[in-house]
Amino acid sequence: MSAYLGQIRAIVWKDLLLELRTRERVVAMGAFAVLAAVLFNYSIDRTVVRPQDVGAGLIWMTIVFGGLLGVGRTFHLEAEDGALQGVLMSPVPKDAVFLGKTLSNFVLLYAVSLLVVAVFMLFFGMELGASPTMLGLALALGALGFVALGTLFAAVSSGTRMGETLLPILLFPLLVPMIVFGAGATGRLLSGRPVSEVAGDIRMLAAFALMAVAAGAVLFRFVVED
Amino acid sequence: MAPESESPPPVASKPALEARGVVREYGPVIAVAGIDLSLERGDFLTVFGPNGAGKSSLLGLLAGALRPTRGEVFVDGTRLDFGAVEWRRNIGVLSHQGFLYAQLTVAENLQFYGRLYGLEDLERRIPERLAHVRLEDCSDALVGQLSHGMRQRLAVARALLHDPDVVLLDEPYTGLDPSAAAVLRGVLTELKDGCRTVVMVTHNLGEGLALASRVAIQVRGRFAWRGSREELDSNDFERLYHRVVEGRA
Amino acid sequence: MSGKGIRLTGTALAVLGLVGIVAVYWLSFFWVSTEVNQGIAQRIFYVHVPAAWTSFLAFGMAAFTSGMYLWLRDERLDRAAVAAAEGGMIFATIMLTTGPLWGKIAWGTYWTWEPRLTFTLLLWFIFLGYFMVRNSTENPEKGKRFAAVVAIIGALDIPFIHLSVVWFRSLHPEPIVLKPDQPSLPGDMLTLLLTSLVVFTTLFLGLFLLRYALETLRAGQQARTREATA
Repeated sequence: MSAYLGQIRAIVWKDLLLELRTRERVVAMGAFAVLAAVLFNYSIDRTVVRPQDVGAGLIWMTIVFGGLLGVGRTFHLEAEDGALQGVLMSPVPKDAVFLGKTLSNFVLLYAVSLLVVAVFMLFFGMELGASPTMLGLALALGALGFVALGTLFAAVSSGTRMGETLLPILLFPLLVPMIVFGAGATGRLLSGRPVSEVAGDIRMLAAFALMAVAAGAVLFRFVVED
Repeated sequence: MAPESESPPPVASKPALEARGVVREYGPVIAVAGIDLSLERGDFLTVFGPNGAGKSSLLGLLAGALRPTRGEVFVDGTRLDFGAVEWRRNIGVLSHQGFLYAQLTVAENLQFYGRLYGLEDLERRIPERLAHVRLEDCSDALVGQLSHGMRQRLAVARALLHDPDVVLLDEPYTGLDPSAAAVLRGVLTELKDGCRTVVMVTHNLGEGLALASRVAIQVRGRFAWRGSREELDSNDFERLYHRVVEGRA
Repeated sequence: MSGKGIRLTGTALAVLGLVGIVAVYWLSFFWVSTEVNQGIAQRIFYVHVPAAWTSFLAFGMAAFTSGMYLWLRDERLDRAAVAAAEGGMIFATIMLTTGPLWGKIAWGTYWTWEPRLTFTLLLWFIFLGYFMVRNSTENPEKGKRFAAVVAIIGALDIPFIHLSVVWFRSLHPEPIVLKPDQPSLPGDMLTLLLTSLVVFTTLFLGLFLLRYALETLRAGQQARTREATA
């Protein structure tokens, strides 16, 4: 078991190190987060709509679109010199490869989603609400479900002629539950509702994330084998 | 009357690497059309053949990178099972792609693969391997800054890092300058230590013959010619090769 | 069942289904009683609901055979999956076109976020993803595997989608509410609905078998071309 975890850790370490060196994705996603909020500001008439009313939804959509940027390139660096082949031919179980990739994607996306919330608070004067921890948890579970499905489909789409453009078509229908429960919980938390009202949402987000990670771990091997 | 006691039947040693009727299709294209091979420990098989003969696919099948459409591969007598992963510890693959991360250093690349293979003593192993391929001074250089020859040498170090019994090489001499080729030749010669089984695919008739104990020529997915090195006259081989490839042997 | 047997059964079922559809149409115009609130427009219900049901059945079949395909690697299972998926997409399209028509005529609005309609829309896109992925790989065998994965993940997500869409709707009720499954349907309406369900399912199974047989013929053709060029 510890060997298994060690292999996952090696993959996460490698991905995060690469991200640190290249800063490709984190800069793109971070810039997107800020710029999207700017565009939103100009797209709403603030005399008619209060940002607080639509804030939760905008936050989650920004995270989804930004996340798409990052997750689409999951296997980009592996493809350059055939490194993915090298990893797949090593004695690492395919589910461990998936879990490692998902975990490193999660770290990236979670950091970005916290940035998104911070930016929205700054630009639109929104408050964190009663329970920042619950908000953080909702974001974490949503991000986890997203990256699990995203990593699996990134592997699928990088094996097709259409590549990353296929990703939204595959992902978006499946993300409806995440948006419903995630944005729902966020909206309630941001408008000061008590934590008890979002417990159900959090549970559903957790179940969704669990399903996504488990299904991805099992199905990944069928995607990457050749 | 009780039969006289016979000496126990000789234990058939399992071939180190074996393929039985392997076929590999990509939709309508048949890359490998049914190949049998059986190699003992210490064998060094070089496979020659024109482009499109399916040599890389054959190597992929032997490496467990490709699933055979039909047929089976056996490593040390055990059937290759895509579900299991332990058998991969014993196989080292060198492709024309290096499997390297350009944005990591030489040492970091080896550390990564070392951890994937669960190797314990990386602090000792990595400098050793780098010295082996004459890259000991480049430990902290980013792979992206290395020349092609140096990257290929690093790829060799990576392929052999875990001391595999079976080594598979796909066109390793491609694009190498003479000094890099010499280093590679030295490393490959060392592989012929009687314990390791090597299969090399190459266009380079000279290098390929120099190290081979067995030779095969693959044409359109099949072995059109196969034999041992001793049967061959190295001067004559080029003519034999062309005859086979053009279908006149 | 032999290839010929499959084609025959498929044709028989499809013809039966088509005849049944004509009967259902006739019955829904001339036999069944008019619904009190919505009037004549409500009759589209007898096409709209069975189409939805059939598309769900089809998807379930596609997901199940996809799972078996990944496990057993039998080509026939993949053929069954694609046949089911195509049928499912057709019936989902029917449902998605009759729904807004009904909505417009009965209530003046083309679209409402009614759970079943939304759910079918999402299912339609999952089908779309299935076909796009299946047809956009270099190696066709890879495309089949990818498509199978899409179908399975879709099936796993469906319960979540259903729950979320229904739950969202309960929070945000819209002024106009479609109630395709009223708790108590009067006798003749219920009879017609059930008949229509059977007819649609029969038609689907017929189309499924025919499509499966077509795919088998295609595979045989490919094998023959491959041998000829080898």
